[in-house]
Amino acid sequence: MSVPISQMWTVATYVLRQRLARRPRYPLVLMLEPLFRCNLACAGCGKIQYPAQILRKHLAVDKCLQAVEECGAPMVSIPGGEPLMYPDIDRLVAELVKRKKYVYLCTNAILLKEKLDLFTPSKYLSFSVHMDGLREEHDEAVCRDGVYDEAVPAIQEALARGFRVTTNTTLFDGASPLRVREFFDEMMRLGVEGMMVSPGYSYAKAPDQEHFLRRSRTNQLFREILSNPKRHWRFNQSPLFLRFLMGKQDYECTPWGNPTYNMFGWQRPCYLLQDGYAETFKELMETTPWENYGRKSGNEKCQDCMVHCGFEPTAVNHTFNSARGFAETVLVTLTGKL
Amino acid sequence: MSLQGWVPDIGPYLTLEEVIEHAFDYRGNVTVVRRDGTEVVGYLFNRDAQPPEPSVQLFDEAGHGPIRVRYAEIASVRFTGKDTAEGNSWKVWMERKEREKAQPAPAPGA
Repeated sequence: MSVPISQMWTVATYVLRQRLARRPRYPLVLMLEPLFRCNLACAGCGKIQYPAQILRKHLAVDKCLQAVEECGAPMVSIPGGEPLMYPDIDRLVAELVKRKKYVYLCTNAILLKEKLDLFTPSKYLSFSVHMDGLREEHDEAVCRDGVYDEAVPAIQEALARGFRVTTNTTLFDGASPLRVREFFDEMMRLGVEGMMVSPGYSYAKAPDQEHFLRRSRTNQLFREILSNPKRHWRFNQSPLFLRFLMGKQDYECTPWGNPTYNMFGWQRPCYLLQDGYAETFKELMETTPWENYGRKSGNEKCQDCMVHCGFEPTAVNHTFNSARGFAETVLVTLTGKL
Repeated sequence: MSLQGWVPDIGPYLTLEEVIEHAFDYRGNVTVVRRDGTEVVGYLFNRDAQPPEPSVQLFDEAGHGPIRVRYAEIASVRFTGKDTAEGNSWKVWMERKEREKAQPAPAPGA
């Protein structure tokens, strides 16, 4: 695990406060999408297929901050679209840092070098760079040659300037375990703080419908990648979530764990499915029929989903809600064996 | 199969509620025709079929909104805008990459 102690402490105390308040459902990470516009059109992405007037729009900073206050989660992830195309990204990030929110700014890094001057290094800010593999695999995933070679120097520059940098990797069917392991080595060699990895969700609107992973194949792939993890690999995510991907833990989805806010409102029920929008966070939490989602519900859209936004909150809750979960997390962290 | 260009015939075999569900799932602009003959062209991003007042929400072509239209006001919905999820960019990309891979590498010094 490579999550800084202060961040772990913030999350742990937050979860304990929710437990003491006997809140059955609470958010861990707000997924804040200020815009859908992007400078890439990746094969596995179902987030950017909208008419021009929607792609031209973006949320006002005030609306973003209102959502952050409403939600109350200790961490804010800013995906998109490409957040560095958001004209007020510097002001938004500064406001979030001022509020002591741990911010993951998810970027493909194409604009990172030229925008770095807009930001100040902080323990609260991490650039989470989208890297789907080594050069060949990454450029194929993002459907453009040369993006890997733009991202790597941008990562190096950000690290040299003292920013926290993590990577986020989405894996699809056909991924080579050996190449993924080489990719992990390469990211560690670059010096990133930690890596996040997840199987892709089978977005109905994504251009490539052929390579989404099914559950058993996901388990097999991640077992092959992670069964013998190298000591120097650092992951910026729960080790229990990684064990879940390997089929060693059985978790149910926590769809309210990473609530999503964008120009349409609060997305029901999660970051991946779009079954409608609520106007307020309270309305989202109180009126979404949560029992209709997750694997046990029988909802076919949830059957193969093992994506981090639904299951990482479950893993974190497992860590902090049970002695066994806590012990397992400590053991995995100390031994490095998943 | 894309619904682009679809002009549904609302009646006993296809209800307004069903058409609105399709419009909600559609990633292009639609034309909502009101019973009074006026129209709203835009992206239908939300619908609430629950009583007491089922309604849809749209951003119009200029991006203004959200505009709320009650189900009771709607006569029909036409799928008039381009289906943005019906692109073939990935397919085109993959075909180009396959062609590139199939080409023999240039000889050293060529």
